[in-house]
Amino acid sequence: MKKIILSLMIATVSMMAFGQKKTSTSATVAFDATTAIDDLAKAENKTGIAAIDPSKNTVQFEASIKNFAFSNPKIQEHFNQKSWLNSDEFPKATFSGVITNPSAVNFNKDGTYNVNVEGDLTIKGKTQKVKTPATIIVAGKALKTNASFNIKLADFGVEGQPITAGKVSAEPKISVSAELN
Amino acid sequence: MFKNPKNKKNLKWLLIAGGSLLLIGLVVYFYFATLSHDDTASLKSDYIVEAIPFIKEFEKDHKAANKKYAEKIITVKGIVTSIEPADTTMNIKMVDAATGSYLIFAFQDQHMAEAKKLKPGEDVLIKGSCSDGIYSEILGTYFISFKRSTVEKINSLTNK
Repeated sequence: MKKIILSLMIATVSMMAFGQKKTSTSATVAFDATTAIDDLAKAENKTGIAAIDPSKNTVQFEASIKNFAFSNPKIQEHFNQKSWLNSDEFPKATFSGVITNPSAVNFNKDGTYNVNVEGDLTIKGKTQKVKTPATIIVAGKALKTNASFNIKLADFGVEGQPITAGKVSAEPKISVSAELN
Repeated sequence: MFKNPKNKKNLKWLLIAGGSLLLIGLVVYFYFATLSHDDTASLKSDYIVEAIPFIKEFEKDHKAANKKYAEKIITVKGIVTSIEPADTTMNIKMVDAATGSYLIFAFQDQHMAEAKKLKPGEDVLIKGSCSDGIYSEILGTYFISFKRSTVEKINSLTNK
């Protein structure tokens, strides 16, 4: 009887431990709007905030727009200006969603799991639904996750001559990766 | 085709002007296309600050703090709280233990090696481009991000 109670307690504690929200403050968010005629419009933000709550199957991201680092300072300036991302007024991009196939992942067992995530992506004050496949790697108490999807800049009120001229992709690729503890 | 010498002369000037414009356009394009950020180590700091009071400024009035510090080169003196992997690189964090708000530094490629030598608890001077300070709805704290950072100095007393 004692053994059963002890086993139940251990199982409960381990489930509680993994039921807690896992976070990262060094998530990487990559933005790639390069085209065949211009390869300058790409940047990375390595200080994103990510959270996965295994008990609720929720996924969240936040990233400072100004912290996207471009190799070219002029492109960085354009990216942040009022007619583009307007980072003074809308300083961060956010994502809040859920894992739509939670049975596909076992947060209590090490392994690599392919899941589907659906949620609201907000950029420049405009919110759009995003659906994307994602990978979650469970390794001990840590989680690693990555996902890639394309967005339409026009959906977020980002338009301009460089897009129509084909120098910036109208549908850039967003890649997110994080190690959560 | 151009029997009139005046037309020939006009064509010659037209070609010279067109060629010159094309050349200027190419020079301007290549100038902007090949621009790159300066090495932060070579830049003069706009501000030199202590980590915790700096964080407090954002907590007190983040709009005023952003107006003052965003996109400025800032040298921060503080204690390394943690070193976090970020994809293939790493970030340094300085956390205000009282509130959980923090500074986070992403490093310039050429300064990554020296940053990787840092350890939690070390007293350092880090110089970087302050992006901004934002309230995180996820964490319930402020985070102040830096890009293209470089380690200026490690306090020798804490290295012993």
